[in-house]
Amino acid sequence: MNLSKILKNGFLILVTSLLLTACATQKKTTTGQLQGDVYTGSDSVEYLASGVPDRVFFATNETVLTTASRDTLRKQAGWLRKNSDINVVLEGHADERGTREYNLALGERRANSAKDYLMTYGISSDRISVLSYGKERPVDSGSNPLSWSKNRRSVTVKAN
Amino acid sequence: MFLRYLFILLVILPIKAFALIEVDITRGNLNPLPIAVSPLSIDENSKNNFKKILKKENLGSEISAIVENNLRQSGLFNPLNKDAFLQKPEIANLKPRFEDWNLIKAQALVTGKVSLVDEKLRVEFRLWDVLAGKEMMALAFTTVPSNWRRVGHIITDKVYERLTGEKGYFDTRIIYVSEEGSKTNRIKKLAIMDQDGFNNKFLTLGNELVLTPRFSPTNQMVTYLSYFKNLPRVYLLDIETGMQEVVGDFPGMTFAPRFSPDGKKIIMSFAQGGNSDIYTMDLENRIVERITNHPSIDTSPSYSPDGKYITFNSDRSGYQQIYVMNSNGKNVKRISFGNGLYGTPVWSPRGDLIAFTKLHKGKFYIGVMRTDGTGERLLTENFYQEAPSWSPNGRVLIFYRETKTNSKGEGFSAKLWSIDLTGYNEKLVKTKTDASDPSWSSLLSN
Amino acid sequence: MNRNIIISFSFHSLLVIITAMSFPFLAKKPIDIPPVISVELIQITDKTSIPFAPKAKKIIEKVKEKEKKLVSEQAPPKMVKKEKPDAVPLPDEKIEKIKKIKDEKQNPKKVETEVKQVSEFEKKELFDTNSIAALIDKSKVDSAETNKKLDKITQDQDKSIDFSGLSLSEEDALKAQIFGCWSIPLGLPYNENLLVRIKLQLNPDGSIIRSEILDHARMNKPGQGFYKVLAESALRAVKLCQPLRVPSTGYERWKELQLNFDAKEMLEG
Repeated sequence: MNLSKILKNGFLILVTSLLLTACATQKKTTTGQLQGDVYTGSDSVEYLASGVPDRVFFATNETVLTTASRDTLRKQAGWLRKNSDINVVLEGHADERGTREYNLALGERRANSAKDYLMTYGISSDRISVLSYGKERPVDSGSNPLSWSKNRRSVTVKAN
Repeated sequence: MFLRYLFILLVILPIKAFALIEVDITRGNLNPLPIAVSPLSIDENSKNNFKKILKKENLGSEISAIVENNLRQSGLFNPLNKDAFLQKPEIANLKPRFEDWNLIKAQALVTGKVSLVDEKLRVEFRLWDVLAGKEMMALAFTTVPSNWRRVGHIITDKVYERLTGEKGYFDTRIIYVSEEGSKTNRIKKLAIMDQDGFNNKFLTLGNELVLTPRFSPTNQMVTYLSYFKNLPRVYLLDIETGMQEVVGDFPGMTFAPRFSPDGKKIIMSFAQGGNSDIYTMDLENRIVERITNHPSIDTSPSYSPDGKYITFNSDRSGYQQIYVMNSNGKNVKRISFGNGLYGTPVWSPRGDLIAFTKLHKGKFYIGVMRTDGTGERLLTENFYQEAPSWSPNGRVLIFYRETKTNSKGEGFSAKLWSIDLTGYNEKLVKTKTDASDPSWSSLLSN
Repeated sequence: MNRNIIISFSFHSLLVIITAMSFPFLAKKPIDIPPVISVELIQITDKTSIPFAPKAKKIIEKVKEKEKKLVSEQAPPKMVKKEKPDAVPLPDEKIEKIKKIKDEKQNPKKVETEVKQVSEFEKKELFDTNSIAALIDKSKVDSAETNKKLDKITQDQDKSIDFSGLSLSEEDALKAQIFGCWSIPLGLPYNENLLVRIKLQLNPDGSIIRSEILDHARMNKPGQGFYKVLAESALRAVKLCQPLRVPSTGYERWKELQLNFDAKEMLEG
């Protein structure tokens, strides 16, 4: 193969690979509120106490806790230990992009994920009850990935 | 000369042995059948009495209008314009002049008579084959006057069955969730209506969240999910008396309830510790039976019409798929294998198909597949739609759709839609409020 | 950070160079051209074009000639397809009749049809026994071959008719008419046997004297209720379509007709 051919091919491959890399999905939004598929912003987040966020977020169809979620739950556990007379309800939610009944089950599983983690910090299961709302109580009425990510959550609510 | 006779012999003999010409007709048109529904004749006396009792000007026309509307909505019939009818109702009912009806291209004709007899409503009707020039069917009904709408629906069922070979689905009701308010603050109530949208009634007040109501086969009872006292549980509601009771005594959320085909059991999901499994409860002896025992989410169970099998939704493979198992929980088999997520499986009353919702590449589909998973057919696609429910003859699916909201989060609506099994006749089911979670009753007249 | 960029860049360039050198499709290779098979196209036009309509006798001679030619050219298989007389610019009417001879699958008796065709050519002359006598002798010989030919060429003949823009054959015309009249009940179960056979007795003008549903017993069988509905829809179609689009001649052929209504194709899937 002569040099000109090699150069021609090389150029072609370079162009193609550039095109392909340009097609890679943009994982981070411009506002930096989504990581992967999980909401990382503070919009809609309320506080049980100073520095203790009341909720954790999930990826689509997932019930796994992210590092940030575990961090939040650790803070919640700390707060619950300090306020040993307070009981909580963990409300699990899903976004609207799924069938209604499955979403009810998904919400329940998410809330239980959070509950299990709190229990690893010594919080008694008597103090934590779980309630799923499926997709029935969205916090954001938008029909876009950012809105949906805000709705995929488990919220810790004071029960008494 | 001899040749002439030989020729004639050779010609005539073979003529006698002509083979019968067969012509294969393999195509036709799928146009709705042109049918003329004549206003039912009614004598003056009855007419005035009914006007007093029911506040209807002409009950004969009212009833035929129900038949006409039902037939048109089915997509299989084309009821012809009444203005073109040449024969008056009274005469048409005795013996129609078929040439007159042929003229307007009617292939079938419905005529009848309404009268008040002993305080009761009496309706006779006849179905005629206009082209053959003969009567196909003649029936009479007697009932209380307030049931006049049901008479129209029953007549439609009879006509439908005689002309299509399938049982009808017009004398039925639909139970659904009526919705109002903003998307983040929805008020939901249980509601019930005739299949044509009339006689709408609310069954709950909207104080607590209610979801997924389903009819019992006897149509007297309804099972649904209620968040009464913030505890999501499956309830039973008696439509006639309004009495409600919680199903079983479960220590956690129960949801996705349905009746067994004999009406004796409720099948549902019970969620605990992050796991949802399928359970049944016998309504008589209150015995609870666990059907699935798997760490995955198992939900949306639906019995086959013979009660031998259950189809359900499970994510045991990692994602939502459709499974079929024996009604005792054994022999679980996955039947959905296409690309995407599958949910809300519901077994057809004919036993031959399972309808489902599918989510693939951000789009929702309503589809059907055979009970072994083959023959998957997607009937309609939308931004969001789910939860098909079968008409009692297994021909029509009713489901609901939600719209996308704009950037401000406005414009949300939920509506009921229906579609024929063949994919034809997709249409909106009109409700006064927004609506979701529809469920079709069986024929009321059974 | 910079070091990483340099390392990344060099590895990427290495990758690009390696791929460039070994990309197969970019290197020109000789294309394998399969050996050229020469095919001789036979122009039927040259030998059979008739600028004006001659007497029937001459036509019959030409038909016999053509049939002989077609028969002999059957030998080399590649030629068969080229034998379609579709490029022949003969006067339409005559060709139509000749092709009808080949088309009448239901009519194995070549003699009769040819006789009929003759009478159509010259409506005043009923039976020219001389020419017909001549025809009988030859056609006996030819009918054997043309029967064989018929099986092979039938498909091509259909195509050839469309290609040359002629009107539909008798069968297609009748089918097209009934397709329009038959309202298939959409409610039929699509996984059952949906065949209804109706036997008709017709008047010469295409109106129906009598109609009879074969498989009549099936109408009242339990579980086959849809069959009655299907049969009734077929009967309605036939009644609606009166008078049927029957051929203008040959009444004896089609005075009894059987229509096989099959809804399977329309309802499947």
